[in-house]
Amino acid sequence: MSFCSLLSIEFLKLKRSKIGLLLLAPVVMMWVPSVLNADMNFDTRGIAIAPEYNFFIQGFMGMVWFMLPASLVICTVLLTQTERANKGLLKMLSLPVSPAKLCLVKFLILLLLAVAQLGMTICAYYISAAAASHIQGYDFLLDPLFVLRVAACLYAGAIPMAAVFWMLATLVRTPIFSVGIGLASIVPSVLVLNTKIWFLYPMSYPFYLLMTEYGKAAPGVYETQVQWLPWLPVAVGITILALAIAALRFGATERRA
Amino acid sequence: MILQIEAKKCKRTGFLPAVLLAACAASAFPILNMLVRAETFTAMAGTPFDILTDANWQMMAMLNMVLVICGACLMYHTEFADNGIQKMDVLPVRAGSLFFGKFVLLVLALCGMLLLETAVLTGCAAHWFPAYTWTFSETLQSAGFQLILTLPTVMLMLWVASACKNMWVSLGIGVILVFVMTILPQDSTVLQLFPFNTPYKTLATVQGAGDVPLFLGICGAETVAFGLFEFVFLQIRRWYA
Repeated sequence: MSFCSLLSIEFLKLKRSKIGLLLLAPVVMMWVPSVLNADMNFDTRGIAIAPEYNFFIQGFMGMVWFMLPASLVICTVLLTQTERANKGLLKMLSLPVSPAKLCLVKFLILLLLAVAQLGMTICAYYISAAAASHIQGYDFLLDPLFVLRVAACLYAGAIPMAAVFWMLATLVRTPIFSVGIGLASIVPSVLVLNTKIWFLYPMSYPFYLLMTEYGKAAPGVYETQVQWLPWLPVAVGITILALAIAALRFGATERRA
Repeated sequence: MILQIEAKKCKRTGFLPAVLLAACAASAFPILNMLVRAETFTAMAGTPFDILTDANWQMMAMLNMVLVICGACLMYHTEFADNGIQKMDVLPVRAGSLFFGKFVLLVLALCGMLLLETAVLTGCAAHWFPAYTWTFSETLQSAGFQLILTLPTVMLMLWVASACKNMWVSLGIGVILVFVMTILPQDSTVLQLFPFNTPYKTLATVQGAGDVPLFLGICGAETVAFGLFEFVFLQIRRWYA
């Protein structure tokens, strides 16, 4: 079966999962308080940052720190549980489809769901920035190219994390462990970012990228340049390793049974 | 009886190891923190136990909540996965007793976690602050206070898990609630009394503000209210099922 037809089948499976609502709800909840408290952006507490950048970065911070990883974990649960109900995966494995290919298609769906949520976040950002500008009489809107570039970077930084979560979801069959490890790994990500070995911890990548943007907008808060060198090879290595393990072990318990 | 059955259901789901792992992970925070930067904390003024809870409790409470969410989702997932809940409905068991069995089980697990965590916090305080003399009742008081503050979260999360058939929906709602409570501004007392927000409070900060009876009373009332709400919800669901 071709990659495209597999992809369209996987999309069909998501049809009645209500995942769109689950991805949308945190986005809406995130921007409502930041519109209501838009006047707080003028009080920068001694940090030299323009209010419009403050609005953008404060808004994205909660999203990138907690909700982006948590949404990925929820999506992995969705992708694995829809197959486990009524032995769906067993039926898929009896078809002439390569399990590795199926695994990678599912990973692609996971990334596409994250993209969908990021798109919603950007739309919500523009709506709420326009609303805040209207209420406060100050222009909060930033250049769309800048916003898109930062959002694309954050999303690219989330790929290794998504690969690790997907590996956990395929390897660990007991949902409490795969979900629990995923959610628990988010909690110390800010702590890890302050250590020297942060580049070994994929859950802190998107937050690191956002913090460097913060550093660029407000000098002195954080580093202004991304340290590519130990990080990029390690990130690529983690992604490839996690995906390879997931592809090899995909459906292992179903095949043994 | 019902508690025994519920415990049996959790037997091969990995619930108990997950509780133990979560408790150990949460207890590791103060120990690691003290191992890495002991000087920062020993130089601070105040009661050692309060210094340590201030520094670590946010993350420990979040881990506790993650376990409550996962545990609640898992307990109802075992019911919904193979239509177990329909079979339970035909047995001569009251619908609510299933819920309360799960509630008691989750609260017992949480009790164990909180006891271990406060014991580790006290241990850290006693080890790194030589002048600190700890009393048994203080540790117990702190653990008990945290337990009561977490009860509304447990009740609400179990209700969500019992209402949603698909695990990702209940998990998603739980995670979204945790997220929303972390981003909301913390300046109003009313917001601080919401479930998913109270577990972050520590006994010392609440005592400092003189709000201990308020927090205990509201959390107790919320727990009872959510429990009654589940009863009504189950009745309504039966009529329309």
